[in-house]
Amino acid sequence: MNPRTLLWLAIGLVVWAVLPFVVPRYMADLLVFTGIYTVAGLGIGLLLGHCGIVNLAQATFYGLGAYASAYCTVMMGLPSIVGFLVGAAISMVLAYVIGRPILRLTGYFLALGTLALSAIASALFFEWDWLTGGTLGIGGIPKLDLFGFLLDRPSRYYFFVWIVAFACMAVARNLVDSRTGLMLRAMRDSSTAAAALSIDLQALRTKVFVVCALFGSLAGSLFAHHASFVSTQSFTVDRSISFLLIPVIGGATSIPGIVVGALFVTFLPELLSKLGDIHQILFGLALVAVVVLMPEGLVGAFGKLRARLAKRGSGHG
Amino acid sequence: MVEPLLALREVGHSFGGLSVLRSVTFDVPEGGIIGLIGPNGSGKTTLFNIVTGYIRPLAGTVTYRGAALERDTIQQRGLQGLVRTFQTPQVFEQMTVLENVMVGCTKLTRTTMLQDLLRTPAARGQMREIRERAEAACERFRLGALRDLPAASLTAGQRRLLEIARAVVGEPRLLLLDEPSSGLNVQEIDDLRDWIVRLNEEGITILLVSHDMGLMTVARTVHTLYFGEIIASGDMAAIQRDPRVREVYLGV
Repeated sequence: MNPRTLLWLAIGLVVWAVLPFVVPRYMADLLVFTGIYTVAGLGIGLLLGHCGIVNLAQATFYGLGAYASAYCTVMMGLPSIVGFLVGAAISMVLAYVIGRPILRLTGYFLALGTLALSAIASALFFEWDWLTGGTLGIGGIPKLDLFGFLLDRPSRYYFFVWIVAFACMAVARNLVDSRTGLMLRAMRDSSTAAAALSIDLQALRTKVFVVCALFGSLAGSLFAHHASFVSTQSFTVDRSISFLLIPVIGGATSIPGIVVGALFVTFLPELLSKLGDIHQILFGLALVAVVVLMPEGLVGAFGKLRARLAKRGSGHG
Repeated sequence: MVEPLLALREVGHSFGGLSVLRSVTFDVPEGGIIGLIGPNGSGKTTLFNIVTGYIRPLAGTVTYRGAALERDTIQQRGLQGLVRTFQTPQVFEQMTVLENVMVGCTKLTRTTMLQDLLRTPAARGQMREIRERAEAACERFRLGALRDLPAASLTAGQRRLLEIARAVVGEPRLLLLDEPSSGLNVQEIDDLRDWIVRLNEEGITILLVSHDMGLMTVARTVHTLYFGEIIASGDMAAIQRDPRVREVYLGV
């Protein structure tokens, strides 16, 4: 790593560490959500950027994680870690069982298949009120307790969430750089040729879908312990769509891009809401602008801009 | 008699009632170069798709190393050493040349998803091995200078070579080349011929599909396919003298 990168990394780390103490509480809260959304968005990004799969079902796994944490801690009085594990296990099994058949589809059909999954799950979260509490939800989810240190304020939870998010980013990076990552990109570029080179498309897509669900469930559990209250409104198709927006906006093939996308979907609506009723229209316009003008996302557009500036600089120099 | 590497017996296929292959029977002996010529629409690519598992034949059997291939998927056939290229080169466009070749090596190693997610020493070791093999292959196929370029930026000839390099790093026993000379200039076709001969000398059996009579001279035995049937077999000189071939192929 060259000294300049190291310097930027150090600056980034300092900013990251002091941020929750210098910003107002509501912003610290938004930063916690950014971390949670980064975790959920990473899974979608792997599917979208490296497999070419549009997954509109992430709210399902996010919901499963959240409800598992809520039910295990509130209803059964089990330690928080059990909720995390139960949510992850259920999500991964469900992703495998549902992924096997629906991942035979491709393109729009697959996207619609995942959308249907999200719609069905959202209806079940509502109907199965003995388990989920329906619209009333489940309240009183305890704050996480880390070796006797209670993460009861956004500024404290912030560090926990972001350490989890960074760990997930590292895991996603590992996957992208690995043999599996190579096979995924090959499959995305030409599935016919990938098959000829003995790449088992079906198995690989299913595995990544399971990893995506794991990230979704983890994010859901983090959310439950942050909000202390979960109800059906948090796990609708709308939420699935905003999860999909994260890699689309940030840049699907870039892992830092997921953080940028997560910042966009958490902060922009909040900042725009100060402008009154028009904020949803403005958010929609901003979204369309990014998608139309920057097909590779904000990170991709930034990279291009930098390359252009460097070229111009060297041209004059 | 030595058992052939690949044997087709009475293979037949049709698309929606239109018969495209009728009882095609021939052998590909181990270590040979076998050619398959025929005008457009004669069923060459369909035959290729049947051998490599992209299509299941409606009649007949395909045996590879003495065992029927019917139940094997495309991937399983690949793992057994049966590797093909495509009429239009199918490179992974958004990946670099080196990465393309690396994909060809992935079948030689095995890692689980968990090992890759956690970047275990085993996963890292295998990735290093894949990279080293691919780098050596890039040098060998004179793609070294291009190795960090995206495959989308290559010319038709370079794409063809990349596709062959990517197939060869996977250590095939039987390499199936589908129209490898299409889109190439005269010089590139000469190079291609040299490559085919060299790879064959290294022990790779080759099944070559083409309608390029010039390139076909590398093949020891050539089968002529016409409307789904083999109408003539023999070396290229015999094929060119065959009156039926001259009639259907050259129109004389």
